Amino acid sequence: MQKLEVIITGFGGQGIVLAGRILGQAASLGDHKESTLIQSYGPESRGGACSAQVIISDGTINYPYVRQPDILAAMSQAGFDKFVDQVRPEGFILIDQDLVKPKGLDRDYFAVPSTRMAEELGRKMMANIIMIGFITAVTQASTLEATRETVTKSVPKGTEEMNIKAFSKGYDYGLSLLKARDKKASGQSGALA
Amino acid sequence: MGNDQAKKDLKIILFLCSWGPHAAFQQLQDKDCRIPAQVKMVRIPCSGRVSKALLFKPFEMGADGVALIGCGSGACRYGVGSITAERNTADTRRILDLLGLSRKRLRLAAFSPEDPQGLLDFLNDFVEEVAAIGKSPVQRPSKPEQPADSKAVIKEIIQKHDVYACQDCGKCSSACSLTLAGKQYSPRAMANAIIGGKLDDPQVQKDVWACLTCGICYDRCPSAVNFPEFIRDVRAVLKSSNGNGNEAHGGFFGSLARTMTSPELKGRHWHWLPEDIKTDAQSKVLFFGGCAPYFDVFFKNHLAPATLDSLKDSLRLLNFFDVHPILLDDERCCGHDLLWTGDRENFLKLAKLNIEAIAESGAEEVIVSCPEGYRTFVKDYPEAGLEMPFKVTHIHEFLEREISKGSVGFKPLDKKITFQDSCRLSRHMEMTDSARKLINRLAPESFTEMQDSGAGAICCGNCGWSGCDSFSKALQVKRLRQAKETQGDLLVTSCPKCQVHLRCAMQDPFFGKDLEIEMMDLTSVMAKTICWE
Repeated sequence: MQKLEVIITGFGGQGIVLAGRILGQAASLGDHKESTLIQSYGPESRGGACSAQVIISDGTINYPYVRQPDILAAMSQAGFDKFVDQVRPEGFILIDQDLVKPKGLDRDYFAVPSTRMAEELGRKMMANIIMIGFITAVTQASTLEATRETVTKSVPKGTEEMNIKAFSKGYDYGLSLLKARDKKASGQSGALA
Repeated sequence: MGNDQAKKDLKIILFLCSWGPHAAFQQLQDKDCRIPAQVKMVRIPCSGRVSKALLFKPFEMGADGVALIGCGSGACRYGVGSITAERNTADTRRILDLLGLSRKRLRLAAFSPEDPQGLLDFLNDFVEEVAAIGKSPVQRPSKPEQPADSKAVIKEIIQKHDVYACQDCGKCSSACSLTLAGKQYSPRAMANAIIGGKLDDPQVQKDVWACLTCGICYDRCPSAVNFPEFIRDVRAVLKSSNGNGNEAHGGFFGSLARTMTSPELKGRHWHWLPEDIKTDAQSKVLFFGGCAPYFDVFFKNHLAPATLDSLKDSLRLLNFFDVHPILLDDERCCGHDLLWTGDRENFLKLAKLNIEAIAESGAEEVIVSCPEGYRTFVKDYPEAGLEMPFKVTHIHEFLEREISKGSVGFKPLDKKITFQDSCRLSRHMEMTDSARKLINRLAPESFTEMQDSGAGAICCGNCGWSGCDSFSKALQVKRLRQAKETQGDLLVTSCPKCQVHLRCAMQDPFFGKDLEIEMMDLTSVMAKTICWE
């Protein structure tokens, strides 16, 4: 049985919980897996390191709290610092590259300028949706179709198109990043190389 | 028997120098030797006087072979005739190769008056060789049909483009690149004259062909009179009535495009393709390159352009993004130049052949790098009522789409760059931003716009290989001076014809090195510096 433990973390107000809900909902309703969501309610959700803990599994989930995340998506430095040491050795660490500086981290990680991209799209508040797209491309925790569908259903009416654009931005960035790594590993870094 | 008949039907044109070789030919006639009946002789003053356009013309008209016979090197009456003939023949043979007609259909030889037998042997051997290749697949192109009532057609054209809306304000003339280059030329005066029924006026007829169709007048016109398209349609009427297209380079490029209207012609458009470029006949993306391979050959000796680089580098950029496109080996000219020089009938033939070939390839998206090709596909084919079962994307749009996905960077470029807009992209298609978005992603030492840029940019001085004159040259000189004024050392272009025309002015001996500046297509600059981050 395959089980994925995910922590999405950031500041309160960034839409971290919504991001967690979209991810879990896509996995359960779209991909027909089991999923749970635990969200932080305390003072941390009012500007501190808020987090959404999602578990996605092929079978029944008996305990909904994340013990050792397979995926950490950090959109704040505080969140990153709090959870980074818990991530499994083979797990994914994803960060917003302008908000998180992974100082001293001696393992692989994936960075996306999600807040900057959201600003370029004209809505800073869509950084979470960009991060969802990025998580989907890099980790494949949920499928593209299911996640995109869930984004459409989860955002305010009238903003669907813009949110899908944000989602695609993050998703394309993730794919592009993976491709860049493959190309560089095979020695093809440029068009003339 | 069938083979004999096919051999009998061959048409071979012999361009024969009046000096040494003609004396040999006359001896054959005097002795009543059996000169092959397929050979039609044309006397010429010197083999060096037969331009590439003239060497090629018989092929457009359906000839199966052409022989150019002059005097031996060193014996030429004009000194360099033989050398020029060698160069022109070599280039035309390469063009025949690109067209898939076989270079063997064109031969150059030299005979002295003392060698009539050698000449006869040559002619017999050439006929045998052409017979072995077979009849040319080129069908003599159709001549444009003359409208029954030209005046009524002109009236319709005036109405179609709402030229009556001209307020005679003069904004077109005050913006027109040609007028500003000093030519006695006025778009509004021409429009008024044509409305007034003076199409037969010699000045109007001259001016119709002089227009660059660059579109700056349309951009400035408060009544939105689309003057370039009006001129284009008027040209079609003039072309059908008197056939004059005012074509530059001896009409070579018109001949070339009309030759390609033969459906049976199987070209070898991409046979020069470097091995490292990956293509895939099963791809859903097709790359349409355009005529750059011909430009490189035609201007090789004079301008040494590198327009082929824009195709190679476009393909390398597609490969960089893992697109291995379909290439049509028998790709034809898009027809842009025929359309803009009034040959609408042959334009339509090319358009139909192109659309048919692309549809058969199964491609869903066609990527075009040539601005003229892009306009022709996106605007002119649909306006001609042709349906295209595929979408058309300019390479700049494709690159922006892919690069904006992320993880792509650009290595520093040790150049101060400036940019030459192409009329077709900037004004005709309103795409001034697409190239600039890409340029802003590059990492050059600096990027400085020229004094006139974007929708107000100066044209490279020629369009559709028509109407090149001293004012075109003045325009090119002005443009190059503007480029130099930016203190830049690399002029980035987006159209192969801008490369050809600006390079022409740059090599004017009167200016020495004053106008020299390195030029490169934007796709080449990108291919050189793009990298995965």
